[in-house]
Amino acid sequence: MAASTRPIILAILSRREDYGYSIIQKVKDITGGHLKWTDGMLYPVLQRMEMDDLISSQWKLSGENRPRRYYTITERGRKELASELVSWRNVWQALVRLAEPIPAQD
Amino acid sequence: MFDLEKEIRKWKKNLQKYEVFEDGQAADIELHLRDAYNARRESGISEENAFRQAVAQVGTAESIAAEYSKNRLIMLNRRSPLRPGRFMPALVWNYVKTALRAIRRQKGYSLINVSGLAIGLTVCMLIVLWVVDEWSFDRFNTNAGRIYRVYRNESATQKNSTSVLTPPPMAAALKSNFPEIIKATRFGYWQRQLVTYKDKSFNETRYRNADPDFFAMFSFPLARGNPETVFSKPYSVILTKKTAAKYFGEEDPIGKILTVNNSFDVTVTGIIHNESFNSSLEFDLLSPFEILLKESIGEKNADNWGFNSFGTYVMLEQSASAENVNQKLTGYLKKYTDEDTDELVLQPLTDIHLFSNLGHDLDNRGDIKYVWIFSALALFVLLIACVNFMNLTTARSANRAREVGLRKVVGAGRPQLIRQFFGESILMAALALMIALCLVEILLPLFNTLSGKQLPSAWRNNPALLLGFIGLALVTGISSGIYPALFLSSFQPIRILKGTMRSSGANPFFRKVLVIFQFTLSVFLIIGTIVISRQLSYMRNIDLGFNREHIIHLSIHGELHDKYSAIRERFLQNPDVLHVTASMALPTNIQSSPGTPMWEGRPDDAKMEIKADFVDYDYIETFEIPLVEGRSFSREYSTDPETAFIVNEEAVRRMGLEKPVVGKRFGFWEIDGQIIGVMKDAHFQILHQKIEPLVFKMFPGWLRRMYVKIRSDNVSATLASLHKTWDEMNLGYPFEFRFLDEDFHNLYESEARLERIFQSFAALAVFIACLGLFGLASFMGEQRTKEIGIRKVLGSSTAGIMALLNQQFLKWIAAANLIAWPVAYFAMQKWLQKFAYRTNIEIWVFLLSAALGLTVALLTVSVQTLRAARANPVDSLKHE
Repeated sequence: MAASTRPIILAILSRREDYGYSIIQKVKDITGGHLKWTDGMLYPVLQRMEMDDLISSQWKLSGENRPRRYYTITERGRKELASELVSWRNVWQALVRLAEPIPAQD
Repeated sequence: MFDLEKEIRKWKKNLQKYEVFEDGQAADIELHLRDAYNARRESGISEENAFRQAVAQVGTAESIAAEYSKNRLIMLNRRSPLRPGRFMPALVWNYVKTALRAIRRQKGYSLINVSGLAIGLTVCMLIVLWVVDEWSFDRFNTNAGRIYRVYRNESATQKNSTSVLTPPPMAAALKSNFPEIIKATRFGYWQRQLVTYKDKSFNETRYRNADPDFFAMFSFPLARGNPETVFSKPYSVILTKKTAAKYFGEEDPIGKILTVNNSFDVTVTGIIHNESFNSSLEFDLLSPFEILLKESIGEKNADNWGFNSFGTYVMLEQSASAENVNQKLTGYLKKYTDEDTDELVLQPLTDIHLFSNLGHDLDNRGDIKYVWIFSALALFVLLIACVNFMNLTTARSANRAREVGLRKVVGAGRPQLIRQFFGESILMAALALMIALCLVEILLPLFNTLSGKQLPSAWRNNPALLLGFIGLALVTGISSGIYPALFLSSFQPIRILKGTMRSSGANPFFRKVLVIFQFTLSVFLIIGTIVISRQLSYMRNIDLGFNREHIIHLSIHGELHDKYSAIRERFLQNPDVLHVTASMALPTNIQSSPGTPMWEGRPDDAKMEIKADFVDYDYIETFEIPLVEGRSFSREYSTDPETAFIVNEEAVRRMGLEKPVVGKRFGFWEIDGQIIGVMKDAHFQILHQKIEPLVFKMFPGWLRRMYVKIRSDNVSATLASLHKTWDEMNLGYPFEFRFLDEDFHNLYESEARLERIFQSFAALAVFIACLGLFGLASFMGEQRTKEIGIRKVLGSSTAGIMALLNQQFLKWIAAANLIAWPVAYFAMQKWLQKFAYRTNIEIWVFLLSAALGLTVALLTVSVQTLRAARANPVDSLKHE
């Protein structure tokens, strides 16, 4: 699992709460569909993030009247996201100084 | 035909092979699969292909399960949030809340627990105050460890006889003869002086005399005056603050002049405040010893080694050992007086109050035995209170078993539970401590009258003592909490929550032992109280062998002594006065006289201890002492004042004289005379002692007490008329008298005090034990509610159920009696050994205390059992 997955999920959830299938669609959109792992692998990641108290989850009825587990970012998750952003930015700037600009990639 | 639901079920089954998937997670992934499938269907892919692609998109169950397993491993390795930390401050408030809730839910039990502990602590504190006060005597002296009192061991002539009285020249002689002795002072114990300042006049019983070294030895702080110069002039006096205020009020006392015995003046040179110090050397006024020599005993006696009338105190050099000095003192007195075979012994100053039982000492000394007895009692009462606490807490622990179970299930460890229950018992003890502190303040005056002390409120000027009490409460809390803490925390949660835990709570054997212990103690104290009060009433009502009723006595010290005959004549003119006589010592306090008398036919080596008093005419008649032979002192015989002796039967028996005894030669104090009468044996001494040989001799120069026998009717009018006569005679001394029978009563003051204290303790012990029993009975009634209900439904009567419930308590109390009886018997028998004349411990004493204990216990228990027995069975059974 790539190191960027967790910040990306946090960033998605920081906009609003969301459920698994929708999250993975958004990840695919953002990363241009370059996912090296299957959709099912997302769920253990979400569980792990919940264990770390970055997100929390709740079963709700969705618009189509289906039960879905909605994930919400926690306060701790927001802090984590903020510090991730700082360190990604630092890494980015370091790379920029060291070499030719290269596209941000997984 | 493709069946989506069937395919999904198959897919799910595969998923469920991996146990790491919890239901929610499986559902999550299933929903994802359905979403992926629907998305593909919408873009027009066939059902079967859409499903296959969706499955591929989700991924294999194996790979997802592997990720979940990693999470689970991380979870297991990580410290579980449910595992308790070493200290969880968040739980402290919960503990306090639970403790308060427990108190609130069970008001009755809590009241019993706290009040029992509070009473136990109160008693313990009062006694600690008393014990500390007893121990503090003389210890305020910075040189206390080096100061000794010199006393005489007279065992060479009289067995086990001692005396604190020493001759005037001894202090100075010891100081110059022994390099180890660096300071020495004489101390005049027995002085009663009339002291006058302007129109104020008081008989001072604590006017003492000492040498200038006194201030260098003892640490009495002088509020006014310089310790080195206060005694530089012989006619000086220092007063205690209280005494100074009595004479001078607000005026400055220094330089004021007091008149003593209307004959000489002394100048106030210093003020001492000794009121706050416990000292074995009690005095209100203190003058140089020189005055005593000049004004009272005569300066010729300054070197009289036979004039044994004063105390001698010495201070040793820092490095000197008292043992060495004691050895060197062997045979010391013989150097000065040939016949004096007594040995001098040094007694540590700090032993005087508690460990001294020496002859001729002041009579307000303490007794280490009482210190031990009271300490033991205090400990017992505290123990009973603790036992109650433990008993009740364990008994109702079953009610809290569920709480313990739940706490354990959600992660409480045993240490935490132990801490919680300790905390609870300490909280209770702290509450009890608050109440006890208030109670001590309230009860202190009462305790002072009971104990005959003037204890100030202790903690205000003694913070160490307060800290001690807090420590005591803490120890009580902890020791009371030990059993519940260890016991409750050992509950197995599974058994509690399943309900297989027997709800009887504590170990019934343990509880039984506790209750039996309490009642053993209570019964013991009841028996003790009865025996002591019987012995007291026996001593007060015993036929003394002479009549002490309606006799008043007055001191005839100083000038009064010379006017005795005139006073006697005037008093006898009063028709209500039957007799007037005088003697040297009070009949309550006739002392042994050193040496052995001479009598007709005495073997050379014969020895006899004899008590002696110097009396006036009419002594035998005034006290109505029956004579078995001969006659009383009579004015008709001119030789009576010189050579006549009257002895008692015991003396005759010891001397082995044949009848007729009258006319036999008898000599004492170098007087050769004869026996003129034999009196019947009478109790002229405290009933602790057997009647001993006694001799009366006339000796007008030594009369110190005057006795007036008055008619039994109209006592107050007679006294008023005597007072008037006294004032008319212008004697210059106040009319101060006491009734002799009161003095006899006061002889047994320490026993009377013991009785009062035993009574209070017995009442307290019974009360506390009953509190415990009450709580226990109500608890057991509750425990057996269902049983009682069933019994009633099956036809039991209320009386039958009460009998059933009371039965076990009665058994316990019977057992307590069986233990207490022999213990009490031996203890009281031992106490009674102190008395030469004593009552028997009769069987009814035991039966009475047993009945008392049983009645009280039964009443206590019945209140509860009756309630349990009368309860409507429907209430207790409707939930079944």
